[in-house]
Amino acid sequence: MPIASANASQPAIHVADLLKTFNVPVREAGLKAAVQSLVHRETREVRAVDNIGFDIGAGEIVGFLGPNGAGKTTTLKMLSGLLYPTSGEALVLGHVPSKRESAFLRRITMVMGNRNQLQWDLPALDSYELIRAIYRLEPGAFRTTRDEFIELLDLAGLVNKPVRNLSLGERMKVEIVGALLHRPQVLFLDEPTIGLDVTMQKRIRSFIADYNQRYGATVLLTSHYMADVQALCRRVVVIHHGKILYDGELARLGAQFDATKTIGVTLKDGEGDLSAYGEVISSEDGRVTLRVSRADAPEVATRLLRDLAVADLTIEDPPIEDVIERVFASGSEGPP
Amino acid sequence: MTGGLAGEPELDRDRFVPRAGLIRGWVDLYLTMFRVAILNNIQYRVANYFYMIGMIAEPVIYLVVWSTIARQQGGAVGGLTSGQLAAYYIVWTLVRQMNIVFTVYGWDERIRQGELSAMLLQPLFPIHWDIAFLAGWKLVTIVMWLPIAVVLTLVFSPALNIRVIDVAVFAVAIWGAYLVRTMLYWILGMASFWTTRAGPLFQLMFTAELLLSGRLVPLSLLPDWAQRLADVLPFKWTFGYPIDALIGQLPAGELIGGLAMQLLWIVVGVIGVRIVWRIAIRHYSAVNG
Amino acid sequence: MAGREVLRPIVLAGRFFRIGALNELQYRANFAIQVFQSAIALGTGLAVLALVFSQTTELNGWSEPELLVVMGVHILMGGVIGMVIQPNMVRLMEDIRRGSLDFILTKPDDAQVLVSVRDIQIWQAVDGLTGAIVIVVAVAQLGGAFGLGQALLFGLAFVLGGLTIYCFWLILTVGAFWVVRIDQIVELFEGVYQSGRWPVTIYPGWLQVSLTFLVPIAFAVTVPAQALTGRLTPGTLALAAGFAIALMAFTRWWWRFGLRRYSGASA
Repeated sequence: MPIASANASQPAIHVADLLKTFNVPVREAGLKAAVQSLVHRETREVRAVDNIGFDIGAGEIVGFLGPNGAGKTTTLKMLSGLLYPTSGEALVLGHVPSKRESAFLRRITMVMGNRNQLQWDLPALDSYELIRAIYRLEPGAFRTTRDEFIELLDLAGLVNKPVRNLSLGERMKVEIVGALLHRPQVLFLDEPTIGLDVTMQKRIRSFIADYNQRYGATVLLTSHYMADVQALCRRVVVIHHGKILYDGELARLGAQFDATKTIGVTLKDGEGDLSAYGEVISSEDGRVTLRVSRADAPEVATRLLRDLAVADLTIEDPPIEDVIERVFASGSEGPP
Repeated sequence: MTGGLAGEPELDRDRFVPRAGLIRGWVDLYLTMFRVAILNNIQYRVANYFYMIGMIAEPVIYLVVWSTIARQQGGAVGGLTSGQLAAYYIVWTLVRQMNIVFTVYGWDERIRQGELSAMLLQPLFPIHWDIAFLAGWKLVTIVMWLPIAVVLTLVFSPALNIRVIDVAVFAVAIWGAYLVRTMLYWILGMASFWTTRAGPLFQLMFTAELLLSGRLVPLSLLPDWAQRLADVLPFKWTFGYPIDALIGQLPAGELIGGLAMQLLWIVVGVIGVRIVWRIAIRHYSAVNG
Repeated sequence: MAGREVLRPIVLAGRFFRIGALNELQYRANFAIQVFQSAIALGTGLAVLALVFSQTTELNGWSEPELLVVMGVHILMGGVIGMVIQPNMVRLMEDIRRGSLDFILTKPDDAQVLVSVRDIQIWQAVDGLTGAIVIVVAVAQLGGAFGLGQALLFGLAFVLGGLTIYCFWLILTVGAFWVVRIDQIVELFEGVYQSGRWPVTIYPGWLQVSLTFLVPIAFAVTVPAQALTGRLTPGTLALAAGFAIALMAFTRWWWRFGLRRYSGASA
């Protein structure tokens, strides 16, 4: 994975002290309050993104994690020029996104779950022609790129069918091709695999990785599926209540936030009560999963092997989903 | 590498058309958008045709009422004979089709569905899409209209006395009408950026337009003060003028003058769109995104 | 007990009206908007009448106050359509399309009654009220004797007209949803309904027939207006009644037929 290659000195995405506040109307229950709100509307200021900052080097793939409402989409929208920051600095490829210059828009793309840039009733190929004309793509290069993507995602039989006849997953694939035809250097992907089955997720994942490799593009990605993040991102930025909780390697996230390991044990003679050794998380089909503190893990494992007839024993980091859950549970105070 | 990543023309040249091809680029863009519109229209040709036929109800009502009056008055009302009224309302059906523009209510939908955001991510001012798409759509519509016009002609026997220059000016004027109305409705529709309750505003505008455009009655049947009011509003250039250009046997001065007025209103519209759009988008980008 | 069965739709409609009213009362801005829209529509109608009568003194035998009666009935019936018929039919079309009708079919009440009264747009009552006021004003302008008999006759003709329009809408909704888009049907109907602003007798023969039996505007507006202006013949009233009853019987059969098809498709 090419991280911060030639342009390391100048990040592809630069964010500093970025702040976005919204004024949300305060509405009290009851008729009197409803009438009052017609005259005077009371509002409360909500910080959706609260003074965040990070740099992303050219060619990096970064996972942007956080629960719903954490400020991920707000940030992506600010970086793609859809939303004006309240204050602070955002630079993407040297452009100020909110100016929405043509030169900027032609170098980025944003994929949102609900985005539909394809003509619903026409085959995707017709929409691709439209994209070519809108982005003023050189016809030869356009065809090469298009055919390459079609082959990579195995879309040959699908791009001739009206988009409305495609399944959700197929539609997402042709949509992503449409979003990348102008070969953007920066990709903002907001839940690109949402609602898709596992095979389709894998397909799109590997396509993104491939695109990143091939064109050295920078990718900022949000996803509910940790598999996406694990497969694509070495680095993650975790955001919660508009603030950054963590910015660093995915591999070290667990070490920082979750001082536990899980031990999986299969006993030779069926299930037994192992609660004396640690917290039992699950117990099914003869396999028991225990949570123990990171420091105790070797000792517990030794005891298990000594005391019981163990058929199989594994020591693992807890699933990343659990780690993330713990990160968010720890609140916005930062790592413990 | 100097000047940061912002410049970098050499990086782009392998896949973007250079700036020199700007005009060709626009032509290509519009042709491509026409094509998409036509393909879309063809998909729904049956439903669209039923719809077009259904839209005839409105002018037929007007025509019947006014021809009845003309007959009672001994053949003409306000100087218009039944035959002239028939001609007026038959041409009306085509001009009405040309008057179809992106609806003012559509903006609300665009904002809620996130379509607007998708448009803003593309390096193209969205009005081009609206203009080209519906223009392409109309290319099909005009062809579909011809049989309808033939049937209406057979049923209502209009008095037609059309010169070559009328046809030529009409052919331009219907597109002028389309552009004037597009601009007008774009500006109005942007009210949706601030409120979801712009309905009454739209309603008021529709009513003014209905009465003062020539859609309800030929403008010559209106009282004097209303005609003078219509002269200073854009509406009549989108409806009454194109119809009169074809069948009203206007003198050459009025024919050309009408085109000039359309051009004037298009320019005013473009300026209006520019200004309102800038404010509207600033508002949108502050709260919605 | 039969009496209660007949009244059941009205009781149900009353209940839904109450719910709708309670919901809507929270949004009083909608009321203001509706008043505004009704005022504009009324103003437009009056302007057109004034325009017509600036050129003539009567239209095909109808004087200005008589045409005002027609307009009043048109607005009143328009209010009924907008308040009860159209919203329910639009919702029914959406339910059929999305396959979410099952919810209704599991209710103990008669499904046809339920789908016909469950959505009531209460602010449309403003239109009904406007129409009623216009009728009263117009009848007063007409002068002459106006007795209870005439009022009852009008009431009867109006109810028959309303039922006819309702049947027309339901037949269309059950039958045509796969052909055209919902908003297009609504818009088309609104276009054709405008023809009712004038007595259908002014239209050429073929159009009169269409506006009587194809889209029953004549029964909905012209016939009740005839009752108010002393034009209604027993023959016309009998035709209106006969047509309404026949159409209701057909609609009932058509609804059951459509329902069987629907259940077959969604099972």
